[in-house]
Parts: sequence; C-alpha cells; structure tokens
Amino acid sequence: MNLKSSLTVAILLGLGLLAAWEWHWQSQGYLSELDDNKALWATNRAKVDGLSSDDVVILGSSRAHFDLQLNEWEESSGRRPIMLASDGTTPSPVFKDIVENTDFDGTIVIGIAPGLFFNPPGKGFMWNRAQTRIDHFYDRTYAQRVNHYLSLPLERSFSFLNGSEEQWSDDIDLKTLVNNFQFGDRTGGPPDVPFNNFGFVDKDRNVTMFEKTKTDTAFANTVITAWRVFGSGAPPSTLEPIVEFYNEWIQKFKSQGGKVIFLRLPSSGSFRERELENIPREEFWDAFLAETNSPGYHFEDYPQLSLFICPEESHLYTPDARILTKELLKILIQDKLITKTN
Amino acid sequence: MLFNSLSFVVFLVIVLALYYSKLLSWNGKKRMLLLSSYVFYGMWNPPLVILLWISTAVDWTAGKKLAVLANPRSRKMWLILSMVVNLGFLAFFKYGNFLLENFTSLMHSIGWEFEARPMDIILPMGISFYTFQTMSYTIDMYKGKTERARTFLDFALYVTFFPQLVAGPIVRAKDLITQFYVPKKATMNQFFWGLFLLTIGIFQKVVLADALLSTTSDSVFDSGKILHGLDAWIGTLAFSGQIFFDFAGYSTCAIGIALMLGIVLPDNFKFPYAAIGFSDLWRRWHISLSTWLRDYLYIPLGGNRHGITRMYVALALTMLLGGLWHGAAWTFVIWGALHGTYLVVERLLKNVVKIKINAWNGVLLALLTYTCVNISWVYFRAKEFETANNMISSMLFLNSEGEKILPTAEIMKVVIVIVGLFICHWVMRNTSMKTVSQKTPSWVLGVFWAILFFLICVAQGSGEQFIYFQF
Repeated sequence: MNLKSSLTVAILLGLGLLAAWEWHWQSQGYLSELDDNKALWATNRAKVDGLSSDDVVILGSSRAHFDLQLNEWEESSGRRPIMLASDGTTPSPVFKDIVENTDFDGTIVIGIAPGLFFNPPGKGFMWNRAQTRIDHFYDRTYAQRVNHYLSLPLERSFSFLNGSEEQWSDDIDLKTLVNNFQFGDRTGGPPDVPFNNFGFVDKDRNVTMFEKTKTDTAFANTVITAWRVFGSGAPPSTLEPIVEFYNEWIQKFKSQGGKVIFLRLPSSGSFRERELENIPREEFWDAFLAETNSPGYHFEDYPQLSLFICPEESHLYTPDARILTKELLKILIQDKLITKTN
Repeated sequence: MLFNSLSFVVFLVIVLALYYSKLLSWNGKKRMLLLSSYVFYGMWNPPLVILLWISTAVDWTAGKKLAVLANPRSRKMWLILSMVVNLGFLAFFKYGNFLLENFTSLMHSIGWEFEARPMDIILPMGISFYTFQTMSYTIDMYKGKTERARTFLDFALYVTFFPQLVAGPIVRAKDLITQFYVPKKATMNQFFWGLFLLTIGIFQKVVLADALLSTTSDSVFDSGKILHGLDAWIGTLAFSGQIFFDFAGYSTCAIGIALMLGIVLPDNFKFPYAAIGFSDLWRRWHISLSTWLRDYLYIPLGGNRHGITRMYVALALTMLLGGLWHGAAWTFVIWGALHGTYLVVERLLKNVVKIKINAWNGVLLALLTYTCVNISWVYFRAKEFETANNMISSMLFLNSEGEKILPTAEIMKVVIVIVGLFICHWVMRNTSMKTVSQKTPSWVLGVFWAILFFLICVAQGSGEQFIYFQF
C-alpha cells in the first residue's frame, strides 16, 4: 500500500474537483458571500455592550434589514448603527433582551413589518427564530466563536461555500442539492414553493440586494410567490398583547435613559394590498403608536420615503434603500431624535 | 471542539507541528498533548475541565494506594472512593434531572403534591466516556490486572487524551498508558493512514449522517403525527444509518488522529449491520463499551458461572444499565431491555435450533438482525413513549390511514444510502478497511480519497454536534 502516492492523487484530484466546482458556480452567477447566520448576529449583538448614549441599534425584520443602509446612516449621522434586524423574525424578544440584559441608553430603532410584528409575544415561529439567535449569543462556546472567525475569510473567498442557515432553495450545499431533486408526489400536499436568496450581508450585517432581484422579473416573482404562500399560513394579527409587552419594556428602557423610534418601511404591489386588508394602518400602526406613546415614522406620511417600488414587493433595491436611509435620517435629525455627531 | 470544525483543523495542525518539532522532549510532548487536551475540552465549557481534574486526581491517588496497600479492607475503601466520585459525577450531572423527575412523579402517584425546583444541570460533554475509562483503571488496579501508571503525567494523559476524550473508544489503561512510556512517532504510512481514517470519519459524519440522513430522521421522529408504515420505516432506517455514521465516524476520526501521533487505539466498530444475531452485533457495535460492560458488569454479576437463570438475569441487567448509560430517559431503558431480550431469546433459540450459517441464510439472518435492531432504534431516537409506540404500530402497518409525509425522492435517497450501507457491511463482514486498502491500487485509493474530500467540502457541514457527545 503506497499511501504517499494515494495522498498525492487525492490532493491533486481533490483540489482539481473543487476548482472545477467553484468555477461552475461562479459561472452560474453565485458570489462569495457571508452567511447571515446566528454566529454573525451574535458578534454584532456583542457590540451593544460597549455602546454609548449617542449610538443606535436597529431591530426589526428583513424590511429594516434591507431598507436601512449602514454606510448612509453613518454618513448622515456620524455614527454607524448596530444592525440586529433579522429576516423572518419579530424584533420583540431582541428588544426585551437588550433592555433586560444591557445598560444601553442610546436609541433603538425598531422596524415594524406588520405581519411579523403584531403577534402575541413569547411564542410562535417569528419569536422563536429571533430567540434562537439570542440563545446562541449567550450559549456560544469558545470553539463556536473561533469557528465563526475562521469561516469568514473562506466564505468571502469561495462561491461554492454557499450553504446558509436559512436553507434557501438555491443554496448549493450537498443537502440542499440532494433535497431539491424531486419526482413523483405521494404526500398529496401542495408542491414546495422555492424560496430563493435575494441578498447578501457584510460583516456588519449590512445587506445588499442581488441585482437580479431588480432586473430579472422571473426571479423576483419566485420571491413574490413565496410571500403569498407564507402569508396565507400566517396567524391573525393582534394588537393588545403587543401593546402591553412594549409598554412594559419601553418604560424600562426609558428609565435607563434610552429612547425608541418605530419605523414602517415601504412595501408594494399585492403584498401591500394584503397588508392594508389584513392589518389596516389605523387599527394597528396608528393605534400602537398612540397606546405606547411612541414616536413612529410611516413611509406613506413622507413623499420622499414613498418614491420607491420594491422589486419583490417587500424590500427595497439597495440603491433605493440608500436614498431612503439618507432621507429618513434628515427627518430624524430634524426632529431631534437622532443627534448628528459628525 | 468538534472534529468536523475549522477550529479543530487549526488545533490539529498546531498540535502536530509541536509534536513533530524537535523543540520538545518526549515528556515535553506529553505535557503539550495534555495541555492541548484540556484546551480541546475547555473550548466547549472551561469550568467543566475541573471535573476532569478531580476524576484524574482521585483515580491517580486510588491507583497509587491500591499499588502499595495489602490490607483488603483498605484496598476496598479506595476502590469504593473512586466509584463513589465517578459514579457520583454521573449520577448528579447525567441523571440528576431524571432522578428528580421520577421522584416527583412517584410523590404525585402517592398523592403528595411535591414540586421540586428544576436543577438545570449542564451535562458535561463525554462524561460517561471518561468516567468509565478512568474507573476501569482503578478496578483493574484493584483486581491486579494492570500496573500502576508510572507517572501522574502518563495517567492524566490517559484520562484526557483528546482524540478519544469525549466519545471514545473507551480504552483500557494497559492498552494506552503503556504507549506513553516510550517516545512515539508515526511512520509515514501510519501518518497517512491516520489522515485517511480522519477523512473517512469526517465523510461519515458530515456527508452521510448530517447531509443525507438527518433531515429524514428528524422530520419523521419530530412530526408529531401518526405515520404511514413506509414513512415510519424510512425514518427509522435513516436514523439507523445516521447514528452509525455519526458514532462510527467519530471513532474512525479518533483512531486516525491518534495514529497520526503514533498512538494505536482499538477498533470500536466492525461493520455491525452485517451481524448475524445479537451476540455478534455486540462484538461489532461500540466494542469498547460492550467489552467494558462485559468485564465490569456482566462478569461481576455472575456471568455464565452460576447457571442459566442467573446468566439471563445478568445479561438482562447489563443491557438495561447499558441502555441507561446512553441517556437519562426510560426510552433508553426500553432500548436496553429490548437488546437484553434479543440476547436471551437468541441464546434460548441456539439451544433448540441448530443452523449452519452459509452465505444465503447468513444474509437473511443478518437482515433479520438488522430489522430487530431498527425496532430498538425507535425507542433510542423517540423522545417520548407515545412517539415510539406510534412509530412501532406504523412499522407493523397497523395505521393504514397513517399520514404520508416523505416525498418519493427522499425515500429513494434513504433506500439508496441504507442498501449501500448494508451491502458494504456484508461484503466487509470478515475483513477490514486496511486489508481491502492494501489490495487496492494506490491510484484507485487516491481517487476514492479525493472524492471523499470533495464531497466533504461540498456538504459544507454546519458543525453539527456528534450524537454521542450527549451520552
């Protein structure tokens, strides 16, 4: 058994196969990008412990995540906010965690995506997804921290390292590739709707939407279809429990010197129509602000924030998001809710 | 730290570089290995390294005393001290919550409304493995079956040696400590074979267990539904493959890493799904645990020295406790009880039915064994009895209206992997990976190795923990 020869063949052929694999996926348009996973979230959550009263933390769902651009926010205000908004989650458990477990006395900006926000606190899919990230922040081992830091340069370098915690339908890890292979129908259920990734993050979790989401209507339609299917299975929205929750935690946050700003960022098309029908503004957004006595900014109230069409009906294309962020900051600074430090 | 993680790759490269550098003497290398082992364990939860230190100190002292004391009473006291400390750790950390829950249930059943505060005890990773390993040293010392470790460093390294610290193989003192007495260095062929085994082990874990089988097993066992018979069978078969690849993968990695350091660890799996009967199965599955249970539980309970009835009782008790070793839940006890029953029935049948095994009936008997093993896996995997019982009734095709949750392609995937696994075990039943590799042309082995490496990279494992870490 000449293992030296075997190892030589293994190294040469193995690296050759990997190079071909990498080339193949690059030619398919895949980018080398970071996974917006719980480890990346936790490294950003850790930054909250060292913030001053001039700092800003952004919470919310994917809408706040996509629509608020950190570079433009920093340019406008002089401070780079911490992005803790997470896709498909409610911000409520994260808000509670920060108030309960930190001394942060700055500003928390909370993006409200009505379908995800107005749900009973403490339970449900959206709460649990956010809670998983919080739990990871507290429970992560030293080995997991090292693994995360070691994975960053690799994720930035290779397109084929595309498997994500979100398990997008167009991921290219082995499990997804095998699971995407379907034939026959024995379950009798509706066919799975593909849910494709449409953005990528940097290490601060600042999102950039893929250009094809804007330019490729067929691709954008796959995402729109996914919103429709997910929306049809969503629980009915509710106001009172969430008002009660926020009244308690806003009060505590104010008593430690912090302030909260709520944002309602744009949606378009049929998504917007469903929101208007199922979660009317007056009954939810307006009532929530009134009952919690909180400042809030609805995109419809400001012409400069209402100029945009979301390519997949729920999130802004990044160049539009940059404009919106700058315009929003002008309003917030003018209203003296954000202090300009540069 | 997990073998299937980037941090371990860096860790291993540093350890190997220091081990093969000329900077350190043999004692220096052993100190480095010991320190590395503590780092390896501490990267998960540093304070729990203290448990390792206590276990090490107690058994080192007990071993030292047992080596010099002649008074039987004193010797027994030292043995009891070691057992109390090690089993006490296990009882508190692993079975504390379980005991409390059962005590509470018992109180409720007699009408006393007792509510205990949950203890929220962290289960130290691999505690069952290292306590069994260190206990074997003291028991062997008591029985005069092994010599006292020459130095504290050798003993501490025996308890903590990182390749097998958290999930075995559970190695006996005489097999491992003696290897630390003289400088060790892997030959080039040993080093490369170790690297090949490490690749195979990670492939089993990352590609076969995590990427191909875990989803099916999880979706079936966590569905909370009454399932169609086919779905229940496929989910159970998927779990049978997942747990084999997960655990055998870990053992293969451990053996490979140790070999890269020139240290030889014993085999822990020998193609168990080709076992013909349950005695054969336990000679092939988790060998280091089954031999531990045989030597330190079954034989002290009387073994086969006191008649048939006593032997069956010893066998059943050993398997029950073996089940409980795996986890603090009654489902594990049932798993152990099933295996105890299988072994007893097999011995009874062997007295009545004489079969000459050939290739044809052998494969049918292996399939029958594998089928019975799958029934037992249901209790091992299910979190509640209700789930397990529903699964069993579905597998017996008693739930004709059961729900079909698995798509056709997923069923095909599991069937392909499991049929491949069974054939592989059957073909390899009477040989070893090393023997087959020696007969394989170098370039073919190289191509195979490259494919394993490529698939590991494509799988992009997300660092899933090995199942056996929780035991």
